[in-house]
Amino acid sequence: MNALVNLLGRSVYAGPALAGFGALFFIGLVITVAGFDPIAALSALLSQSLGSVNGISEVLVRTIPLTLTGLGITVAFRARMFNVGGDGQIIFGAIAFVGCGLLFPTLTGWLLLPLAVIAGILGGAVWGGIAGILRARYNASEIIVTIMLTYVAFQGLAWAIRGPLQESSGIFPRSEAIPEAIKLGLLLDGSRLHWGLFIALGATVAVTLALRYTSFGYRLDAIGESPLAARYGGIGDRATVILSLAVSGGLAGLAGAVEIAGVHGRLHDAFAEGTGITAIAVALLARLNPIFVPLSAAMFAVLSVGVGGLQRQLGIPFPLVHIIEGIVILAFLVATRLQRDAVEG
Amino acid sequence: MAPASVTAPKPASRPVLELNGITKRFGALAANDDITLALGRGEVLGLLGENGAGKSTLMNILAGLILPDAGEILIEGRLARIAAPRDAVSLGIGMVHQHFMIVPTLSVAENIALGNRTLRPLPLDLSGVRAKIRQITDDLGLPLDPDAATARLTVGEQQRVEIVKALSRDARILILDEPTAVLTRDEASGLFDAVKALAQTGVSVILISHKLEDIFAVCDRVAVLRRGRKVHETSTKDTDADGLVLAMVGESITAPAARRNSPPGKLLLELDGVALRRGDGSTAVDGVSFDLHAGEILAVAGIEGNGQRELAEAIAGLQPPEAGRIVYDGKVHTRGTRTMELRRRGLRLVPEDRHAAGMLVDKSLRENQLLSHLHARRYNRAGWLKRRSAARDAQTVIADFDVRATSSNAVMRSLSGGNQQKMVLGRELADGLRLLIAAHPTRGLDVRTIAFIQRQLLDLRDRGIAILLISSDLGEIWQFADRILVFGGGRAHGPIGVTETTPSEIGAWMAGHA
Repeated sequence: MNALVNLLGRSVYAGPALAGFGALFFIGLVITVAGFDPIAALSALLSQSLGSVNGISEVLVRTIPLTLTGLGITVAFRARMFNVGGDGQIIFGAIAFVGCGLLFPTLTGWLLLPLAVIAGILGGAVWGGIAGILRARYNASEIIVTIMLTYVAFQGLAWAIRGPLQESSGIFPRSEAIPEAIKLGLLLDGSRLHWGLFIALGATVAVTLALRYTSFGYRLDAIGESPLAARYGGIGDRATVILSLAVSGGLAGLAGAVEIAGVHGRLHDAFAEGTGITAIAVALLARLNPIFVPLSAAMFAVLSVGVGGLQRQLGIPFPLVHIIEGIVILAFLVATRLQRDAVEG
Repeated sequence: MAPASVTAPKPASRPVLELNGITKRFGALAANDDITLALGRGEVLGLLGENGAGKSTLMNILAGLILPDAGEILIEGRLARIAAPRDAVSLGIGMVHQHFMIVPTLSVAENIALGNRTLRPLPLDLSGVRAKIRQITDDLGLPLDPDAATARLTVGEQQRVEIVKALSRDARILILDEPTAVLTRDEASGLFDAVKALAQTGVSVILISHKLEDIFAVCDRVAVLRRGRKVHETSTKDTDADGLVLAMVGESITAPAARRNSPPGKLLLELDGVALRRGDGSTAVDGVSFDLHAGEILAVAGIEGNGQRELAEAIAGLQPPEAGRIVYDGKVHTRGTRTMELRRRGLRLVPEDRHAAGMLVDKSLRENQLLSHLHARRYNRAGWLKRRSAARDAQTVIADFDVRATSSNAVMRSLSGGNQQKMVLGRELADGLRLLIAAHPTRGLDVRTIAFIQRQLLDLRDRGIAILLISSDLGEIWQFADRILVFGGGRAHGPIGVTETTPSEIGAWMAGHA
């Protein structure tokens, strides 16, 4: 135990390594208890996700919305705002993106695409910003509000694709296909991997710079650490609280827009489900450092893609993947804490 | 982690507690450097030293909150390892911190039962706890109702809860960390009587303080720490205040210069019939009217909680007054007045609760430099921070104010209270200061830092800065203020020139007599 504490205190890599091994151990335990062979499960998981070009490209496809939404969660978390409503903001971003695309189909691509993407960002920003306003103005818990707004968003989507945005044939609950001009091109023929990957990486750089080098980033950190000190410093106003959740929602909205533009091509009932919740884990695993968010997102993408293999090859039921995700998050949280204690003596 | 281990019994009749060569380093700073101390049975030992001298570190080592790098601790002559607070408790060490560990929703008895491992958990024997509390409080002559709701207790009563809590766990060594800092004079003398009674029963007490009067009131012996080392140890009978001060500061303190002799300058701040409301809606003070000119010090005297905090917040634009008019530099405060804008126009505030309101304790010194100047052109170019300017300025404050820090990258939390206050003050002085509200700027600081900060205030006044000095220390006010405004009994008296009044008149106003 002491040797372990020593190691944790000395090497920054010891914590994540410990978490990795701990997570593997407990995942193996759960799979064994569930009556499956853990080694076969692990190999199925890895071969499905990382064993082929197609698998890897699927992992990257999944990484894109997780990265964008994870960045959003990170921004809010810096101000100690807990945005649990990523899914609702993704949906509103997607609706705004598609709505904008279908509204101006005659515009040329180089104009329509940025316009629609901005609409998507604004859609998410409005949905997050509402929670921000309620929090700043009435001190309503942003956790509750963002959860509730997600339910509203789900219903809003269901209505939109059966009402104003439904395809003209009126058969399926889905929208018309978006104009070709606002679809994101594929990076790899025969796969689903699209240019959104670079949007996600660009957003990572932008958020990293914004948090580290701008007064906005400083305001978030100040409010997050001490609302009173921020207020006395003249930077603790409501605008910052609202803005933190609006920017957070905007990034999730961007994820929704990119997901539609790159993968689905139109609105339908179920897309990117659960992304907003997994993105919380992504942000925590990245320790609220935006530069680590893509890496953290890729890890969860491996899990989520690999689980398809578990199901297909071994018949392991799907809910187990949620348990596995939970174990990964807990392992990293515990390891982070142990490491901090070791460093602080 | 090994539990508290007791090894190698040694002959009895030794001191209750011995520290041999205790050393603890934080980075390059030796917080405790080879400290050796002994505490006899039933003895009251004073531990004296300026902020940052290493008192808290030493006590945290005894309380099991940090482990020393070197040295040994002997309890009743046995080598002890105190790796966690529960080890300290089981070794009979009880600690009363400056900040109380009380759950406000629970009663006194419930608080004392909380976390006591010797009690049977289910069903909880609260009546036994009550009986024990009564027994302890009767022995000490410290009244305390076991069934009182702790949320309604005064600070002095809350401190009693902490003392009784420690004693109910059979503490043989009681450590009191700055116990009088939060007490009124009467409460303090009650506490001293209790400490003497405790010592009679054989409990040994370590009293941490930087007030000389506390040391002489109750301690048998006193040890003085400076810069992590024990520099002086003597029986209180064999020393006097001058000797201890000299040992504490290690150099003579120059008294600040006398009163201003130039006429006051431009009118900077004007209050007219201002009424201020507390957070709970009650009126704190009514009818505040005064003006403040460049190059003068106006003191606001009063017992705490009489509207001083609200006054500072109203002037700084943090909350609008209930009634009346505030004019800063020719511009009337409105609901739209922003703290940031006022700061930019040179109105700065050193808050009374500097820890919570004046700094970000987990951020570095250079990041703290930005806290109240985030939108100053010096640090901000179109939203992009000029971090290098902030680092340079933090470095300047560290050098100019002799701040003891490893570097400007050090975390605020790692500094002693005095050094933190220097950083806060230094930050507020930067770039275009015209009016400074200094709320209890020297409270809780060591003698030398107090003198340093007071010298800074005089310096600022001589440079034409207007200073509103909020203080509950009449001595300080008398020494530095040009005029005095008194808050008491919900009213404001004055301002009146210091030379035109007497301390007894001010005292009567503070007590609420018209």
